[in-house]
Amino acid sequence: MIDVSGVTKIYSNGTPALRSVNLHINAGDFVSIVGQSGTGKSTLVKLLIAEERPSKGHISVGGWDITRINSSDIPYLRRQIGVVFQDFKLLPKRTVYENISFALEVAGERYHRIREVVPQVLEIVGLSQKGGSYPYQLSGGEQQRTAIARSLVHRPKIIVADEPTGNLDSINAAEIVSILKKINEFGTTIILVTHNREIVNHLKQRVVTLHGGEIINDEECGKYRL
Amino acid sequence: MHMLSFLRVLKYAFQDLWRNIGLSFMTVFILVLMLLSINTLWSIDILTKEAIGAIKQQIDVSIYFVPEATDKNVEEIQTYIKLFPEVTNIDLQSRDQVLQSFRDQNGSQAEVLQALDELGQNPFGPTLVVKTKEPGDYKKIIDSLNVPEYKDLIEAKSFDNHGAAIERLQSIINRIEQGGIGLTALFAIISFLIIFNTIRVAINTQRTEISVKRLVGASNWFIRGPYLIESLIFTILSVAITIGIVFFALRWVDPYLAVVLPDGFSLTNYFKSNILMLFGAQALAVLVLTVVSTGLAMSKQLKV
Repeated sequence: MIDVSGVTKIYSNGTPALRSVNLHINAGDFVSIVGQSGTGKSTLVKLLIAEERPSKGHISVGGWDITRINSSDIPYLRRQIGVVFQDFKLLPKRTVYENISFALEVAGERYHRIREVVPQVLEIVGLSQKGGSYPYQLSGGEQQRTAIARSLVHRPKIIVADEPTGNLDSINAAEIVSILKKINEFGTTIILVTHNREIVNHLKQRVVTLHGGEIINDEECGKYRL
Repeated sequence: MHMLSFLRVLKYAFQDLWRNIGLSFMTVFILVLMLLSINTLWSIDILTKEAIGAIKQQIDVSIYFVPEATDKNVEEIQTYIKLFPEVTNIDLQSRDQVLQSFRDQNGSQAEVLQALDELGQNPFGPTLVVKTKEPGDYKKIIDSLNVPEYKDLIEAKSFDNHGAAIERLQSIINRIEQGGIGLTALFAIISFLIIFNTIRVAINTQRTEISVKRLVGASNWFIRGPYLIESLIFTILSVAITIGIVFFALRWVDPYLAVVLPDGFSLTNYFKSNILMLFGAQALAVLVLTVVSTGLAMSKQLKV
């Protein structure tokens, strides 16, 4: 499903973010990527969604060769990977419904299909009653659930969640993780980037630990060890 | 599918316009100000040319013949002057016409008329009134008459009296034209910078939106399209508003111009008969300006 081999990323200012990273993730896995700030977790996410290109090495996601992907193909890749960010990244001047439907509209989905899918994903994340609200009218947890709903509309095989609980209290954080687990049960691969020890230990899933841009630990049913 | 994409891009454009109504209003407002300034400069240029043309029309050179000059002499000189390509018109006034004209001009001065009567004969010779294309051409005509054959036939040439004035007028005309070109160029640069920065600020405020659109898989067309359509809407709105204001203002200006300028010159008529060229060129310029500004301002955001 995801294959990262020998990937090194050095930014244009000379800062090394990742060093010879090798990682293989199977379809349907729930993988937590943990590590302190500045260890390269977010860089790995950016590489997976082709926001950045590796300086060295090779990445393939669901059959796409990210290393050699054309700029014009990036939108198509992003429609197949659901991405959830710490700061939600919602369109502030669009309602919850419009934020979700936008992801379908840009993919050329027809209106009757959009009218069918958006209420379904809103129900999955428990926001059926909030479709007409703007992001500023929602709590942090509700905004993150909107972002998850948006990431689900294309029925992606992979969801990458970059610190999705970073701006949330423990109750909302638990709710978000619970939604991600539910999505994983339907067969979607989940990559959860976090530094929340409690969540990682509670999940009892595969844990990949990054330190100084290198993978220092990778264990099934692992724990947060740093 | 292409039609569906286009309709969605159109929908986003109108949504963005409405949801950023303050910024949209400011952009159109600045574009209208720029266009009004251009139209004002344009009008001044037209009026200057028209006024200069009117002044030029009023300038002529008169060649006064001695009373003894025969019709044949006058005809010969008239034919000679006609050969100059610079000459646009020659009006011959006979001795009687000159006398009558003199009487008309001095009708209130009894002593002058009495002295004229006491002479018992017409003291005036015929006169040629010559008009040329440019005031500078008069000197050439007069110089050509400063030859010994004509010395005894020509009593006076009025150019001698107008020469300095004509040269000064020519110098003023040249300076106005040079100043006008400089001012227009300066104003065009200032307008470009203002509008470029206005649009850049507008795009920068929507930087987050653009990056989010990219991250959810929007293609460049879906991101750029609404801004390009907004540019088109800004252009249409600003040009339409400018046309309205310009024609409204001309209704008030025209009556004053009719008094000052001859032949009932009307700026309204000028703008009406050149409306496609004048406003078409302005619309094209504004469209290029907004599209280029949008493209440049977005190029950075689209690399996400």
